Amino acid sequence: MSELSSHTGNITVPYTPPPETPKLSPREWVKENLFSSPFNSALTVVTTIILLAVFRGFLSFIFNPVRQWDSTATNMQLFMTRAYPDEQYIRVWFCVAVLLTLTGVSMAVWQAGSTVPVAGLGRKLLATGALLALLALLAPFSASATVQWLAAALAVAAIGEAIRRFAGRGESERTVSSLTVLVVTLAGLVTSLWVVPYGHHSYIAKRVPRVLAEPGTVALTTKLPWTIMLLIVVAAYFAGRLMRNRLPTNPTRATLLMLWLLAPFFLTYLVLRDPDFDMGHVLSTDLPIFAAYAVGGAVLLSWLTRPSTGETGRVVAVLILVAGFCTFLTPMRQVVRLDMLLLATFALAAPTFAGGPRARRRYIFGWLGVLGVMSWLITSINTPSTVTVPGGFFIGGFSITLFIAFIALVISFPLGIALALARTSSMPIFRQLATGFIEVVRGIPLITVLIFFSIMVPLFLPRGMHLGEVAAVAIGYVLFSSAYLAENVRGGLQSITRGQHEAAEAVGMTTAQKTVFIVLPQALRVSIPPLVGHCIGVFKETSLLAIIGVFDILYIGRIVIPGQTEFMGSTRENVLFVSVIYWIFAYQMSKASQRLERRTGLGER
Amino acid sequence: MTDTTAAEPTGGQTRDLSGARDMIVCEDVSKWYGDFQALDGVSATIKEQEVVVVLGPSGSGKSTWIRCINRLEIHQEGRIVVDDVELTNDLRNIEKVRSEVGMVFQQFNLFPHLNILDNVTLAPIWVRKKPRAEAEAQGMALLERVGIPEQAQKYPGQLSGGQQQRVAIARALAMEPRIMLFDEPTSALDPEMIKEVLDVMKTLALSGMTMMVVTHEMGFAKEVADRLIFMEGGQIVEQNTTELFFSNPTEERTKLFLSQIL
Amino acid sequence: MTDTTTQERVSQRVPLWRDVVVLKWVTQIVLLFVVLSVMWFLASQAGDNLRARNINTDFDFLERPVDIQISEGIDTHPDTGGRALWAAMVNTLRLSIAGIFFATVLGVIVGLARLSDNWLVRRIATSWVEVLRNVPLLVQMIFYYSAMTAAFPRLGLETGPINGWLHVSNKGISMPRVHIADGFYQWMVVVLVGVVAAYFVRRHRQRIQDVTGANTSPILWAVGTIGLFGLIGLFVHPVFSWLGSVFSAVADLLDSLPVAVPQLLFSAIAVGGATVWIRRFVSDHRSARGHLSLTDDDWFRIAFVAVASLVVVFLVVRWSGLSAWTLNSGRDLFEVLADKFNVDGAARPFDAMRPDIVQPGKFPNYGKNGLTMSVGFASVFFAVVFYTSAFIGENVRGGILAVPKGQTEAAKAVGLRRGQILRHVVLPQALRVILPPTGNQYLNLTKNTSLAVAVGMSDMVQVGTTVFNQTGRTLPVVAIWMLFYLSCSLTISVVVNWFNVRMRLVER
Ligand SMILES: Nc1ncnc2c1ncn2[C@@H]1O[C@H](COP(=O)(O)OP(=O)(O)OP(=O)(O)O)[C@@H](O)[C@H]1O
Ligand SMILES: [Mg+2]
Repeated sequence: MSELSSHTGNITVPYTPPPETPKLSPREWVKENLFSSPFNSALTVVTTIILLAVFRGFLSFIFNPVRQWDSTATNMQLFMTRAYPDEQYIRVWFCVAVLLTLTGVSMAVWQAGSTVPVAGLGRKLLATGALLALLALLAPFSASATVQWLAAALAVAAIGEAIRRFAGRGESERTVSSLTVLVVTLAGLVTSLWVVPYGHHSYIAKRVPRVLAEPGTVALTTKLPWTIMLLIVVAAYFAGRLMRNRLPTNPTRATLLMLWLLAPFFLTYLVLRDPDFDMGHVLSTDLPIFAAYAVGGAVLLSWLTRPSTGETGRVVAVLILVAGFCTFLTPMRQVVRLDMLLLATFALAAPTFAGGPRARRRYIFGWLGVLGVMSWLITSINTPSTVTVPGGFFIGGFSITLFIAFIALVISFPLGIALALARTSSMPIFRQLATGFIEVVRGIPLITVLIFFSIMVPLFLPRGMHLGEVAAVAIGYVLFSSAYLAENVRGGLQSITRGQHEAAEAVGMTTAQKTVFIVLPQALRVSIPPLVGHCIGVFKETSLLAIIGVFDILYIGRIVIPGQTEFMGSTRENVLFVSVIYWIFAYQMSKASQRLERRTGLGER
Repeated sequence: MTDTTAAEPTGGQTRDLSGARDMIVCEDVSKWYGDFQALDGVSATIKEQEVVVVLGPSGSGKSTWIRCINRLEIHQEGRIVVDDVELTNDLRNIEKVRSEVGMVFQQFNLFPHLNILDNVTLAPIWVRKKPRAEAEAQGMALLERVGIPEQAQKYPGQLSGGQQQRVAIARALAMEPRIMLFDEPTSALDPEMIKEVLDVMKTLALSGMTMMVVTHEMGFAKEVADRLIFMEGGQIVEQNTTELFFSNPTEERTKLFLSQIL
Repeated sequence: MTDTTTQERVSQRVPLWRDVVVLKWVTQIVLLFVVLSVMWFLASQAGDNLRARNINTDFDFLERPVDIQISEGIDTHPDTGGRALWAAMVNTLRLSIAGIFFATVLGVIVGLARLSDNWLVRRIATSWVEVLRNVPLLVQMIFYYSAMTAAFPRLGLETGPINGWLHVSNKGISMPRVHIADGFYQWMVVVLVGVVAAYFVRRHRQRIQDVTGANTSPILWAVGTIGLFGLIGLFVHPVFSWLGSVFSAVADLLDSLPVAVPQLLFSAIAVGGATVWIRRFVSDHRSARGHLSLTDDDWFRIAFVAVASLVVVFLVVRWSGLSAWTLNSGRDLFEVLADKFNVDGAARPFDAMRPDIVQPGKFPNYGKNGLTMSVGFASVFFAVVFYTSAFIGENVRGGILAVPKGQTEAAKAVGLRRGQILRHVVLPQALRVILPPTGNQYLNLTKNTSLAVAVGMSDMVQVGTTVFNQTGRTLPVVAIWMLFYLSCSLTISVVVNWFNVRMRLVER
């Protein structure tokens, strides 16, 4: 709920790089930073004592022999995908591969990563080693375990020191790409899978013979898949480098963004869900409807986008809209109605994008693309799935968390922009409707909306129409997200000066053209930081799925696993694991947004 | 239509424009901001190819008037007719007038997210529906004309004030307007940049464009203007040909103003 | 002059379909129509479906007995649905108010620590913020809950680190508290009189200050007056017991009024309001010379207001239920008030008590005396306080950084000490930046308490869910939720805005 805005409520502090401290000797540093005044010294001592106590408590929690960390490791598959059938698990890996490929290519195309000094890296490893040693001494280990941990800490520190020495030898400072560091780390993790079989479900057999996955399926082990995935990322990165050098930048980036936008739908509905297309029905009904709309729409739009069409075009567009609403009065296929409304939207926007043959062709291709994606989505959602899982949605766990967050954001984005525009519009009824909606939604907790939707949506639907619980809840998320998003965008809209509006009007742009070409591009750029904050908020809010009984990662960690007979009462371990997963993602997103802000210099505007 | 018999403007000498068409006709135009009357019965006629400079103290309603002509503000009483199109609530008239009247603002108001060429070509492509190639060729020609073709790929933030204002003029010209309105185009500029903008405006005037200019640049007014209009308190106090206006102002208020400004 | 020719060529009348104002208003009215018809369509669908499933949507469950156990609060075994929701509401409000207070304190500490000179303190504060705000609140809440239920001892008759003063067990945490007793309402009246008196005292002192220029500390005097009245009230409050009969008289009066009275009243308010609005609108648009300048837009606006008021009148007259309900609830309110004042003269306004442990059945439990916080309450409380403190901390830090460095330097130059600089120079300026986003955080905190449903603490949402599961009245319960949370949001924004305006006044 509320958190949707909490990131945005923050004050954005202009980034000030840490003051370039002249190299202090360790003793000076300690004096400067920890013991500069009597008060400071006292503070240091007190906080150190408290910190040590807290650390000790935390470590004795983690390493307590009664902790059932096995429950987390064994149920990893459950955490990620819930009861997705083992024999179909290759599909999950396929999805991961597609997403990783996109990631690799995008990183190359957008030139992600920076250079880090090798010496700094060494220092960091050294510090990590020291911290590990401290932890080993604090933790309630047996003597032998303490020795082992200390040895490991020493090894890490030694490697760090070696790197530092090695880097310090040359006269100029050596640097390395942060991506290399990342790949080396990941490679290390993957290699460790081959050495210690913690990703292997049968490893637990020596205590309680429990294997969750079927022997002989990909689901049983993760070492082979992850190795392949690592190779795929690296390969994709190099492919992306080639693309960056060979292909024009902007179209490549646009294509990649489109792929990112479409991939989740494609993966969820086609790969994971594996719809059992009834080809006869598709050929006899769906394709003809699509073809009719494609051809008819293309002809109509090509006429509407002709500059000479004029006001008749507007009248026709309005008539189509009216026809679209009239389809609701008579029984008809949903697709026909939705396509009609889509066509009406395109027709209404047509005069804005009218122009020469190229502009018209582009507009028509846009129509065909959107129509195609929508028809395909509708068809595949309406087709029964071959993947059968007990109860509920076909996928759960962390996958559904990501899926809901994505759907909520993608659909609420245009909605939120529309609401923001309406709220800043000069037309009072638009303004008041939008304001009313936004303020009401922002005034009530998300959970009440989710409960309401999960119970009541079936009641609001016309008879004969069905909507799964997940879909109903997704609608709740979309409405919510759009209200908060609208407020973020409104901030951007208000930062556009009156002069910009007037200049656009003075060159004769219509309100729609002014909005699309002048106002929104500037407003959205200003709202990037709060929008990223909003994304983090929505991502965190998906945890509320657990309350209404959807099998998301939190529900599994809190209810499902502690209910397994072997792992009774392992709630704390699993909830801690869930929070770590959430934390990693949310923290990375917020770091990324800070980097983005710094790079585009948004703070300095 | 530029081949009328009108003489070239020649440094403050009066041209004979009596046979030319009326481009802008204002009759008794009044406008209120809430309780405050910003325009009070303004009547004036501007002929084709005429260059009119509007003078007046701050707050006298110059900007308000010029913005009413472009319908950035809506007048409440009286009539404004631009190139035979009356400014009413008629959608078609508003569209027509906007695309026939170019406007240059004090604060430039370039679109900061578009590069210079896109700033110039955006409106021709989407409003005039020109093919992109043609619009870009025309845009480059215009940038050439205002003297900054080499800046086409830069962004407004990277240009000096004078260059930005010249881009703004090019942007307005790209719509091929029949009338150009200037609202204090040089008052946000450093002195050395003022000249480059005024030069562009002079050539524009010489090419026979109908222009209405709010400015405090007396040199420009003397050299280029056919007629001067002096406003105060939302009213036109005095209007006269350039020569007579400076040599023989009739109103006391005008004399006072001129003595302060010259 | 070629005016005549120009005029001839100009079209005189604007066709309606090209008139911008007409188009603008037609679009809006069409949109309004579409929104209303979609809502009507959904509502009628829901109506059909509900009727088909025999589900009721009236509010009678508020007065019917329910079988609900509330985890803690003013009433753990409420006899009606309304009472259950009332107890739940008190729980939510307790959580929110306590949460807001402690989150602010902790947030300020975190924000200052983020800017400390001490490296260790700075790092700890940074980790606090980065960890807490990047883990979903619900996950934190559940973690605290499971950690507490596992770690706290079972409740025995003598448990507690400081026996008789503080109990900690898996049933909760219990502390001594002050009760509101029977005489409280009469005492409140005395305090109210004190508030009125304080207003005049303050004005008087202020006037003296304005005249003489001496510092007469008017605020202090006002607070003192209220305190004095509160103190006196402890002894003399029974003098106000006569109010009881006044209230019951009002209740009787309301009971005997016909429904037509509130109907007339509402209609009069709608019509009168519209008239006043239109009058003011017209006079605002009259220029100094008395000249009326209304655009077409303004005409539409006036017409819209007029029609809206007529619609209200129609609705009020057509559906008398609303008016009857107003009458009834007014009567109920005064009856309750009359009841509260009808106590015998010796009742005390307050009672103070230490926690007690009772053993009604097999297991011991906390009695009603102490201030008891169940484990559920504690986990929600700590979760929202910690979580919100991270955000408030960031606001505080941002606000302080937003104060230009020159301010601190100037203050140093005139010889102020660190603490003084912070109190008199930096904080007042920073507060203007900090306040608006922090107000937002207060709103969030209040809404976030609704996650208590996940740990079984009886807040609005949890009890509401139980109520509609038992009675099937989902829609009414959701309506009550919306009403409650919207009023909370509204209250908080009004308060925060009020502070904001005051801050700006101070600045001038
Ligand atoms: N949007 C507005 N709302 C209220 N009053 C306005 C508005 N715009 C202008 N005014 C008032 O109308 C009067 C005329 O303003 P205008 O901008 O036309 O003056 P000006 O002659 O252009 O002055 P300057 O030389 O300073 O630009 C001023 O008194 C101004 O305060
Ligand atoms: Mg002006």
